[in-house]
Amino acid sequence: MQEDDGIKKTKPLDVRAAIHRTAWIARDIREITLEFCEDPRALLGEPAKPAEFFSPVSPLPGQFVHIAIPGVFLRRPISIAGHDGRLLRLIVRRAGRGTDMLCSLPAGSELRALLPLGNPFPLDEIKSISDCGGDVWIVSGGIGLAPLLFLSGWAKESGIRLDSFAGFMDREKIFGVSELEACGVCGLSIGGFVTDLITESLKKRKPGLMIACGPAPMLAALQKICGEHRIAAYASFEERMGCGIGACLVCNCGFHENGGFRYRRACIDGPVFSLSEASF
Amino acid sequence: MERTDTSCALCGVKLKNPFIAASGTFGFGREFDRLYDISCWGGISVKGLTLKAREGNPPHRIAETASGILNSVGLQNPGIEAFINDELPWLAAKGTAIIANIAGGTEEEYVEIARRLSDASVDIVELNISCPNVKEGGVRFGTSPSSAARIVGAVRKACRQPLMAKLSPNVTDIASIAKAAEEAGADAISLINTLTGMAIDARTRAPVLANVTGGLSGPAVKPVALRMVYETSRAVSVPVVGMGGIMTGEDAAQFMIAGAAAVMVGTANIADPMSGPRIIAEFEKFLADYNIKSLGALVGSLKT
Ligand SMILES: Cc1cc2nc3c(=O)[nH]c(=O)nc-3n(C[C@H](O)[C@H](O)[C@H](O)COP(=O)(O)O)c2cc1C
Ligand code: FES
Repeated sequence: MQEDDGIKKTKPLDVRAAIHRTAWIARDIREITLEFCEDPRALLGEPAKPAEFFSPVSPLPGQFVHIAIPGVFLRRPISIAGHDGRLLRLIVRRAGRGTDMLCSLPAGSELRALLPLGNPFPLDEIKSISDCGGDVWIVSGGIGLAPLLFLSGWAKESGIRLDSFAGFMDREKIFGVSELEACGVCGLSIGGFVTDLITESLKKRKPGLMIACGPAPMLAALQKICGEHRIAAYASFEERMGCGIGACLVCNCGFHENGGFRYRRACIDGPVFSLSEASF
Repeated sequence: MERTDTSCALCGVKLKNPFIAASGTFGFGREFDRLYDISCWGGISVKGLTLKAREGNPPHRIAETASGILNSVGLQNPGIEAFINDELPWLAAKGTAIIANIAGGTEEEYVEIARRLSDASVDIVELNISCPNVKEGGVRFGTSPSSAARIVGAVRKACRQPLMAKLSPNVTDIASIAKAAEEAGADAISLINTLTGMAIDARTRAPVLANVTGGLSGPAVKPVALRMVYETSRAVSVPVVGMGGIMTGEDAAQFMIAGAAAVMVGTANIADPMSGPRIIAEFEKFLADYNIKSLGALVGSLKT
């Protein structure tokens, strides 16, 4: 049962973290690194003392953090864009009250964060396809690149080549490209449809797997392409969240399953799902 | 300092403390049990159960508001049989009172669900006649004294466990509905469910929730909830379980002062998944700080 699969995953921790560094890296896009504070499970803790080399969690690419932002009621789910054993890297697009507030917090600000949450990208599958000489492509639209940068970092460390196709609305919004170029060939689409680039490239090569994150229209177009070319694909989905842990059922996305339709929770059944089953 | 005994009895069911996780915000407990030991709760009211499985409403199902949330989940649940077979055995072994929150589209459905629960290890049945997010049934049963009395009476006959009627705040006179439910046989009253509301995106001119309207909960509704708990507890003699926007131990104390014998915590679990144990600890500290020796000294102690 899906619920049970969700529950067997590693325990998320609700930790205190402090902003280590925060800077704009493109228009409306901010890179924020978090440092964990001591005593992660303290419920009614004293003032935090950031510990220098301490990370209580080991998140995987594709997982997210549910972050409490002072001044907004609900936590916000933010993809993890990297983790080096000590610092947690987030890349946040300013897109509403919560992310506005998060982007305006100076270094040193303290936050509560629940992590790691959700299912990672299919790392074993990526590895085995790559081991057998197959290609794996990553496809992003805008801020959807954030979790994929964690994946490309992991791939580079694991000696896996990932070719990428990154779409950005305009030049001022570009970020992360050098990291993509460090683990494979990177195609850029600026102001157009990244899926056009994919259609072009498919005339020359066919990958064994695609991993995507981006806006729903991009994912819908990619689903069609992957269906026509019979290419397996996974995507990270976004939906508004409440609890972030699977209890409140507000984050549901629709999927086709065994000929029927069913909702699945983005936070715990996802956010990474097989793209072919998604209903847009 | 001596710890005040916070155990209490709710229509004959012993609770280790007066804190109950509110229906719909706690699933069937599994997800929260990964974060902390859920047996710290006096009780857990499970996600609203219907006769057949329900998929619920399309997304978006949540909108943030000033100091609260709107939700339009629409009673997504696996159905009463799946609950009894797949969820209850695990949950019932946890050592906390189990409250089955039930909802039907028709009177017959409510009665049938109660009947199926009769051999189940459920301590209390909570009759949800107040869900604003479904087309049939739900809140429609809870908005007049006569319809509330009819459904409570019918379920009371079929139900082996104590029956708690969960009332909607979307009414003009909450006390008359509570009284009608009591007279029809309700063993306790819980309130409030969510207040119907909506959110609009001015740029797209579209409702934020796909269902257009949703239920408002969280600190935004607390003053309304307190007033309704106050009015209800003065109108009935069965125990009242209060909820609506409880985020701290002191919030919980306010509900008890207004007349609640126990409280439920809902949206706080969503905003901060660790809030359950925190609120319980804060409440115990409040009792100690103000030298309150028993729950009885707090419940209904409003000075007017
Ligand atoms: C996401 C969500 C789902 C809910 N589902 C149910 C439900 O299935 N049955 C029910 O009786 N109440 C349900 N409620 C109402 C809560 O149990 C509670 O009555 C209400 O939210 C007020 O309390 P609070 O402000 O502490 O959340 C739900 C509330 C929320 C926020
Ligand atoms: S956000 Fe609560 S179930 Fe996904």
